[in-house]
Amino acid sequence: MTGTPATRLWDLPTRITHWSLVVLILTAWLSGGQQMQIHTLAGYGVIGLLVFRLYWGFVGGETARFSQFVKGPGATVGYLKTMGRRTAADLVGHSPVGAVSVVALLLVMIVQAALGLFATDIDGINSGPLSYMVDFDTGRLASEWHELSFRALQGLVVLHLAAIAFYALWKRQNLVTAMITGKRRFIGPAPNLKFAPAWRFVLGVVIAAGAAWLIARGLKLPKL
Amino acid sequence: MSARHTKRPLGLVLGVALSLAAVSGAAVAAVSAEKVIAERQKGLKAMGGAFKTINDNLKTDAPDAKLIAAQAKIVKDWSHHIPKWFPKGSGPEAGFKTAAKPEIWTDPAKFAAAAKGLQVEAAKLETIAKGGNIDAIKAQVKATGGACGTCHTPFRVKS
Repeated sequence: MTGTPATRLWDLPTRITHWSLVVLILTAWLSGGQQMQIHTLAGYGVIGLLVFRLYWGFVGGETARFSQFVKGPGATVGYLKTMGRRTAADLVGHSPVGAVSVVALLLVMIVQAALGLFATDIDGINSGPLSYMVDFDTGRLASEWHELSFRALQGLVVLHLAAIAFYALWKRQNLVTAMITGKRRFIGPAPNLKFAPAWRFVLGVVIAAGAAWLIARGLKLPKL
Repeated sequence: MSARHTKRPLGLVLGVALSLAAVSGAAVAAVSAEKVIAERQKGLKAMGGAFKTINDNLKTDAPDAKLIAAQAKIVKDWSHHIPKWFPKGSGPEAGFKTAAKPEIWTDPAKFAAAAKGLQVEAAKLETIAKGGNIDAIKAQVKATGGACGTCHTPFRVKS
């Protein structure tokens, strides 16, 4: 694609969060029901990333903010109508339809992680860190739903990959490279995006790590 | 002719009676298979619940050995029911939802040994829990969990 020189689009924290989620969710998937210690650790990592992503959705770089990409039904339907065109979409950041995918993925991942916290295995040997709050039957139910919601997550990931393939094959647009390098060439004028200062990233990491640590401890503060 | 007449209905009656008996016999077997499956699932669930309570408690800052001993007794008591929970005909062939594998009945010696193993480990756990040494309890909880596995790995359908 010609146009502007490669221009910064996605900030580093957004990209780190994205690819870390890919690695940790794959890890959790492969270790689930087999290597529960690894599965649990991967889950805590996912929780930290989700906390960070929600925080970053409010204070992060412009294209990471929910207020920038979440659009109403009108804009979403409007974009859907133009999606079939064989021309590249020159949108800055998520498209309105992509925004639906982002929000759906985040919601399902939150549900997925939350259910895992309360889940118990069939023998009562491995349990999520909040499972002590519920009885065995409820823990088993959480475990079953944890598996069901993972099917939903798998479905959304397949859709996500299908959308990337659609843009690549139909619209001749490469979305993956920008999520790696953070940069993209624009057809129209290069956008002048605002990015967040580094201290906000550091603060977010502290908040996310603290939240994941507290949840991993079963929401119990250490005695001082 | 008349003898034949009387003989035929008799055969018919006998046949009907026999098949009725067979059907009701099958029904009785089905009812008892259903009952025994429900019963063992209740007991196994109770053991799982007790095990969860033990593991939840061990994760707290101050584990309660007394509570663990009481829960270990639940596991131990139920474990003695295991040998009578799996009568022949209560496997998947009974047509009810069960995770019991046919191997329970094709390798009864191994199954009996596994059940015995849980009884021994659960009894040990109760004794050790009464002693109150948390580290020893943790080790024995692991051993008892392992004993669950010696049965569940070969004899339970993976969910």
